[in-house]
Amino acid sequence: MSLLRRSSARYHLQHPTQLALTALGVALGVAVVVAVHLAVRSSRAAFRASVETVAGRATHVVTPASGGLDERLIRHIRVDLGIDRAAPIVEGYATSAALPGRVLRVLGVDPFSEAPFRAWAVDGSVGLDVARFVTAADGVMLPAGTAAGAGVRAGDTLPVSVNGRPWTLRVAGLVDPKDALTSEGVRDLLLVDIATAQTILGMTGRLSRIDLWLPDDEAGRQELARVRSVLPPDARLEPAGARADVLRGMIDAFDLNLTALSLLALIFGMFLVYNAMTFSVVRRREMLGGLRALGVTRRQIVGIVLAEAALIGGVGAVLGTLLGVGLGRGLVGMVLRTVNDLWLVVSVERLTLPPVALSGGVLLGILATLVASLPPAVEAATSPPRLARMRSTLEERARRMVPRAAALGSISAVAGVALVGLSTHSLGVSFAALFLLVLGLALLTPLATVVLIGVLRPVASWAGGLLGTMASRGVVTTLSRTAPAVAALVVALSVTVGLGVMIDSFRGTLTRWLDATLQADLYVSLPSVLASRADGTLDPVVVEALIAHPAVEGHSTYRSRDLRLGDRLVRLVAVELDRRGEAGFDFVRTVGDRTFDRFRTGDGVLVSEPLAYRMRLSVEDGLELPTPDGVSRLRVLGVFRDYGSDQGVVMMSRSAFDRLFRDTGVTSLGLFLAPGVDLARVVSELEARVASVGDQAVLVRPTAALREGSLQVFERTFRVTAVLRMLALIVAFVGVLSALMALELERARELGVLRSIGLTPGQVWGLVTTQTGLLGFVAGILSLPIGVVLSIVMIEVINRRSFGWSLDLGVGAAVLAQAVALALVAALLAGLYPAWRMSRASPAAALRGE
Amino acid sequence: MSRPWAGGSPGRRCRLLAGALALGACGPSEAPVPPRLSLAGVLGGVDTAGYDRAVEPRPIGLPADHGPHPGFRSEWWYLTGNLEGDGGRPFGFQLTIFRASLAPAAPTSASAWATNQAYMAHLALTDPQAGRFLARERFARGAQGLAGASADPLRVWLGDWRLEGGGPGGPSGMTLRASDADLTVELDLEPGKPVVLQGERGLSRKGPRPGNASYYYSLTRMPARGRVVSGKDTIDVAGTAWLDREWSTSVLPDGVVGWDWFALQLDDGWDVMAYRLRRGDGSASPFSEGVVVDPAGRAVGLTWGTDVEVEQTGAWTSPHSGVRYPSGWVLTVPSRGWRLRLEPLMADQELDLSFRYWEGAVTVRGEQRGSGPTGRGYVELTGYDGNPPAR
Repeated sequence: MSLLRRSSARYHLQHPTQLALTALGVALGVAVVVAVHLAVRSSRAAFRASVETVAGRATHVVTPASGGLDERLIRHIRVDLGIDRAAPIVEGYATSAALPGRVLRVLGVDPFSEAPFRAWAVDGSVGLDVARFVTAADGVMLPAGTAAGAGVRAGDTLPVSVNGRPWTLRVAGLVDPKDALTSEGVRDLLLVDIATAQTILGMTGRLSRIDLWLPDDEAGRQELARVRSVLPPDARLEPAGARADVLRGMIDAFDLNLTALSLLALIFGMFLVYNAMTFSVVRRREMLGGLRALGVTRRQIVGIVLAEAALIGGVGAVLGTLLGVGLGRGLVGMVLRTVNDLWLVVSVERLTLPPVALSGGVLLGILATLVASLPPAVEAATSPPRLARMRSTLEERARRMVPRAAALGSISAVAGVALVGLSTHSLGVSFAALFLLVLGLALLTPLATVVLIGVLRPVASWAGGLLGTMASRGVVTTLSRTAPAVAALVVALSVTVGLGVMIDSFRGTLTRWLDATLQADLYVSLPSVLASRADGTLDPVVVEALIAHPAVEGHSTYRSRDLRLGDRLVRLVAVELDRRGEAGFDFVRTVGDRTFDRFRTGDGVLVSEPLAYRMRLSVEDGLELPTPDGVSRLRVLGVFRDYGSDQGVVMMSRSAFDRLFRDTGVTSLGLFLAPGVDLARVVSELEARVASVGDQAVLVRPTAALREGSLQVFERTFRVTAVLRMLALIVAFVGVLSALMALELERARELGVLRSIGLTPGQVWGLVTTQTGLLGFVAGILSLPIGVVLSIVMIEVINRRSFGWSLDLGVGAAVLAQAVALALVAALLAGLYPAWRMSRASPAAALRGE
Repeated sequence: MSRPWAGGSPGRRCRLLAGALALGACGPSEAPVPPRLSLAGVLGGVDTAGYDRAVEPRPIGLPADHGPHPGFRSEWWYLTGNLEGDGGRPFGFQLTIFRASLAPAAPTSASAWATNQAYMAHLALTDPQAGRFLARERFARGAQGLAGASADPLRVWLGDWRLEGGGPGGPSGMTLRASDADLTVELDLEPGKPVVLQGERGLSRKGPRPGNASYYYSLTRMPARGRVVSGKDTIDVAGTAWLDREWSTSVLPDGVVGWDWFALQLDDGWDVMAYRLRRGDGSASPFSEGVVVDPAGRAVGLTWGTDVEVEQTGAWTSPHSGVRYPSGWVLTVPSRGWRLRLEPLMADQELDLSFRYWEGAVTVRGEQRGSGPTGRGYVELTGYDGNPPAR
């Protein structure tokens, strides 16, 4: 081992706490990135497995724009056109008392059409009695794993509930695909005959889609054209992949947001590394100067510092990757839960562990460490040998750097703001802007620190006398060490502030919106599988029974279904509103006073804010809707706030809907009760009425319960973000702790001098904690405005571009106080150990130095 | 006689339809390797409760009996024939539509997909000049108009493959239309000779137990005219077809592993049909039999072993499946003084489908001068792929 390496190893081994904290900084940063990457990747893999397994080998698919396809279309395709490889599909969702908490996907197939499409249903089928499966009207095949979970075997019955109705299915056989991916993809899938599916899903006469296998040649293209020619106006024919893309597109923004947040965590980690390495270089300036004087070249110095960094970074990165895998396991469930709540049912919950991601995590950690260590390494090498030994030179230069950093920071921040200002819908640009802004603000912190300390110095002097003055001056005179520390802390703290403010703003906006929107006293719906959307059809006799109750004074009805608009899947909601319900709309823009008059007559539609944003719609614009009779062009009468769907909602009056879509079903009801009735009593009476008229189980919920349910979904949705914020807080805490502890330890000699000239251990303790406290306080205070600026960017730019929502900025005192408190507590804790050590060490020993 | 498909015991039906399901498992453009099914197995059958049985002769009336008999578990419309294009280019064709009842009664359901009827069809074209044998299969349930059968008007179809009444020559005149990617058969068929009732006035016994029988009639010489598409060639053709109609609930007795079926149309106006129900040891079941039909349509039954006998003269091993089939025979009918040599138009006429069997056009000539007329015919060989009967 060379002298150089030995000295480097010796230094770090003598400062194990520093070493550990630096590695921890890298580890945490890498852990967050790896965890989020794995969670996002796994949720995508889950999505792919679910969608593609069920889609099978279809090359093309015919889907309805909304509702279902007329089942007679299949005869046109197979008999009139003679295209044999066309499979009808009826699909939906169910739940089962035997599998509590799981959403079961119901896939209704015609086994005689399946051969070219879903080989897994066949190859892996065990003990299947197909004749019974087709003719018994209750046969179900399910994956072996799901069957085991439900404790059923072939021949047993499986109770299921669909749209509130109970059904008893009989297990006709088990699906046990041989390959792992398919096996994952069929998880919680109920394979039933198409007749059974139509019956239990209430889709008699309709198909969810038709899968086609068409050869990729001229004959195939001709067949494609022939199929197109027999399609009704509201059906779409597209490559099978395009449909998956639409579904995948829904979760893209969510994934991108998570990934960007995780990269922020890595940036904190880099700041910590930068801070730690700068610090280690500064501490060894005498030794490095000596080495330079002995003839060690600059290149060697840079090399040794980078080698140290790589080693520390490597250890940290490996730890971080391991930690990330563990963390990823936790996150993937949350991510999938959100995907299931908001967009579509994905049933795979397995962490995908691609070796590339793991080695990538390690590499990223090392790389980030090296990048962060480059400035200190160069710093160590560029000073002339003698000067390097002089502390004052270093501090001189650090002070000179303050305005330069501030200038650079201003440029970066302005560039960030300018980038935000660009009128673009691109999320990538938005995140780039956010990063520029964070970087710029971080570079401005040294200047802000100097200024702020200048302001605080009189206070410190007044409160702490000479020691107070010394503590505050010390911050400025040791800028080479305090500035990176403060910058790192500010970045970490400000992001936690920004996320906190954003979540608070969202919650506040949502709460106000729910309060305004939920005008009825009771809401009636079917037990839904996707938390964020109502589905299914209320039995008309149930609707009759409910609105006939004497306590019910008025009602609104809602009909919701998916609607394909171009490449988007949006919600189409038909409403028949009680007058009181009209007050529940919070319009961003409308055509004027007569909005509802025109709406009721079917003169146009209302669109939700996200839809208006994504499709760049404004009032009086025309919106083309595919209907069974062809494309219908409707005027946009208003844009209303809606936080129920980020994909967007088109709302139309019931009369217009019945005319255009010929569908009289009701998905949910709002009931307005007579004043003064006992809510609980009415609910139980209504439930009794429902039970007496049929077998459909419905939910009758007071508004408060619905509101509560919606907020729960919100909290679930933001759980991942909240976890990331907690991680940011931990990184910030570690950062404060390690930076300040290092700072004070480094002052051992200075404190030794102070002790030898008569300072008591108590006074040393006071001096140290005052200084760390000041630094923590400064970082905490600086993080507040920066955090708020970040939250504004997240709310106004990122959120809007990701989801199309406009949120009211609500800065909660708690979030701000939390940041400052965190900084202070960490700062004071950081002072404890050095103060304790200094107060115990004999001044002579401290003076002897290292 | 002949023919693969039908319902069977639950276990067999499972395999049967598993076969149907897995048909395209390798993708339509790749070589399919579906699971194999035992013909003899699926035609045996234990689970006969609730179905009609062929126990005693019953009147057979046309066109009513051209239509479906859904009370029976299985049924087929089986057309084979030899055709000639301009310049004598020979072709053989086969279109078979099989119907199966999956349960004795149709399920009650609000869904129009609910049915107990399932259909399978095989379309094949032999084109020795191009060295091509093309065979395709299709499946559909008897619902939504995807497949079905009716007597009046006569219409039997699966997708756009169809056999319809209204062809030339009265109530039994038919048209046949079927095409897939690279083959098409479109023919107008005249009834030709009167209907031949097989067995005992149309009741064809296949085993000792009552009910081990089918109802079976044939149109043995239907003049056919139309066109075929083979690959890229479209050729106007004319020739003669043979229609077998058969329906049953349980056909094959224990011990029968398959059969060899011969149907010949001779140039002197006589037709002959004979089948051997083959037992595990290769011997013929005593229920093997045959028929000769004179030019006026009068039929006389033949007893296997005395009235009619077949010797195998060659063999062929399929490069697709590795199955070894007989290939080349001498068929003897002593009462007519015939010793007829049968040679396949092509060795490879194996339908390597979910049900694997050999069904092919053959040429016929007297073994020596004076030992019989020339002619054309079709031969069907089942149960050679080693799948033991399921029972």
